Amino acid sequence: MSSSLNPLLEPRGVRIALTLTAAVVLLLFLFAPLVVVFGEALSRGLDVYLDALTEPDTVSSIGLTLLVAAICVPVNMAVGICAAWCVAKFDFRGKSLLTTIIDLPFSVSPVIAGLIYVLVFGLQGWLGPWLRAHDIHVIFALPGIVLATLFITFPFVARELIPLMEEQGTEDEEAAVSLGANGWQVFRRVTLPNVKWGLLYGVLLCNARAMGEFGAVSVVSGHIRGRTTTMPLQVEILYNEYNMVAAFAVASLLAMLALVTLAVKTFFEWRYAKELAAAK
Amino acid sequence: MIDIRNVHKTFGGFPALSDVSLRIKEGELVALLGPSGSGKTSLLRILAGLEFADSGQVMFDGGDATNVSARDRRVGFVFQHYALFRHMTVFDNVAFGLTVRRGPGRLSKDEIGDRVRHLLEMVQLGGLASRYPSQLSGGQRQRVALARALAIQPKVLLLDEPFGALDARVRKDLRRWLRDLHDELKITGVFVTHDQEEALDVADRVVVMNHGRIEQVGTPTQIYDSPATPFVYQFLGNVNSLDCHIRDGVAEIGSLTLPASAYAGVQDAAGVAFVRPHDLMLSKPGDGAGAPAEVKHVSILGPLVRVELLLGGQVLEAEISRQRHAELGLKTGQTVLVWPRQARFFLRDSWQGTALLDPETPIDHDI
Repeated sequence: MSSSLNPLLEPRGVRIALTLTAAVVLLLFLFAPLVVVFGEALSRGLDVYLDALTEPDTVSSIGLTLLVAAICVPVNMAVGICAAWCVAKFDFRGKSLLTTIIDLPFSVSPVIAGLIYVLVFGLQGWLGPWLRAHDIHVIFALPGIVLATLFITFPFVARELIPLMEEQGTEDEEAAVSLGANGWQVFRRVTLPNVKWGLLYGVLLCNARAMGEFGAVSVVSGHIRGRTTTMPLQVEILYNEYNMVAAFAVASLLAMLALVTLAVKTFFEWRYAKELAAAK
Repeated sequence: MIDIRNVHKTFGGFPALSDVSLRIKEGELVALLGPSGSGKTSLLRILAGLEFADSGQVMFDGGDATNVSARDRRVGFVFQHYALFRHMTVFDNVAFGLTVRRGPGRLSKDEIGDRVRHLLEMVQLGGLASRYPSQLSGGQRQRVALARALAIQPKVLLLDEPFGALDARVRKDLRRWLRDLHDELKITGVFVTHDQEEALDVADRVVVMNHGRIEQVGTPTQIYDSPATPFVYQFLGNVNSLDCHIRDGVAEIGSLTLPASAYAGVQDAAGVAFVRPHDLMLSKPGDGAGAPAEVKHVSILGPLVRVELLLGGQVLEAEISRQRHAELGLKTGQTVLVWPRQARFFLRDSWQGTALLDPETPIDHDI
């Protein structure tokens, strides 16, 4: 009975109770909703499900969501890497201010984030008259949606990279420079490979949020069907019209996005387990 | 040849280096020795171009390298914690400096392969080329770091606490091995250490640093046998520092009076006498010269015996052989006569200055 001697092992009753609690919570709040989403979506058969997904407004919302993500993720990846590089590898005045600003989108309600853009770019906003004079549409158009999404998803990559880069310090980069590498070679061959797992994780989270963002986008989009509705907005519209099958069909796509994100992350971790171990 | 001229460096108002000048000869292995915060690592990083001096010059082979970037200095730098690229194999790590090279100096893939294999053989890691750094022991990683630094055929090899992170036995082996490697390659080398034994064992010349200044430069023998300043005395090995009075060329330590001819002109001044434990001779009362001291404690350390003594209210340590210990039959509380074979005196007032005394002036007395 050596296990009963393990000082870190709780009594059997406590262990079972804790495991059961965790399992019940997971089932009730995570697994059950997932089942409901797919269940509702397929409740009237596969044909109805596919019809709902190929409805023109829905197709355009999928396209818009993909487009927004395709713009926001690369931009925030590049900006996030730069910001993390600055904060983690250099000392300068105003550094703590920069870290605070990076965190800002996390602490601001998404609705406020959307409103900020309406106040700046809207018809009654600061730049409204000028934009109108030059026939540039920001609010209730793609640029507004992209801006709001950029703001919301900005911290993901930087937040993932900063602690990692800080922990790794600058010795590797110094070694590379003393061996004759130029700035780009140092970044490309030393800094980036050292953080690639953190970067991948940050990009996946950034992408998931870019596709799933509701609040900020809702404020700036104007809900023009077939033109400025992203998938989460489309779900809301369909749901409010009591079109349950179509609403859950689109929701199931978003749920699948989450599952794919998880699967990709797990796959990469498994595929590069050896390198990952070497990176420690 | 490296010529460091009047280098100053401050970090946020704190002076890391003040007016440091040093010449390092071609092919020499020099140790920068000092406690943490003495500026030794700053000096090494300035040599590497990883840090730049606020004022002063660094010359390499007569050319001004003060503002040359680390990338263009052709200096091999070995970091204390190796800084190996963790996502690259041992082979790729060593090859890094060659694969990033652009322009006419670029080697072909085969040439790079040949050189890397040769280097790995030299550091006795021939079979481990495809391993990752995490799969190696500390000593092996250090040798990979060394091979990587040597791959670019540097003019100078700089090592920051090269053995600091290794355990005692590996450290000793690697120390020997570095010395042999240096003798074989004849490369100019500078290494930083806080371990005096390491510095004295490996280096051709030792530079002792303290508070951003050079206290003394000399061969290991010079440094150990005739330290120029109280700091060097205390930093290098065990030493008794005893309060004394200096009067007309005589130093008094309690009831012990010793000639201090260098201070013949000093009327009455407080001083400090430095005596190494192995320079203290003990004898039975009535059986030799010296001042009486009380035996406080005796501890047997292998071949040596350490005796703690009380002389005029001051505690001092003596080291004698087991044989001498047996002859004296020392016991706690007993009185013995103490006489230093060699002692060195410094005046209290001049403690803070760098040039305490002209090193040429003989102030030791020998018996």
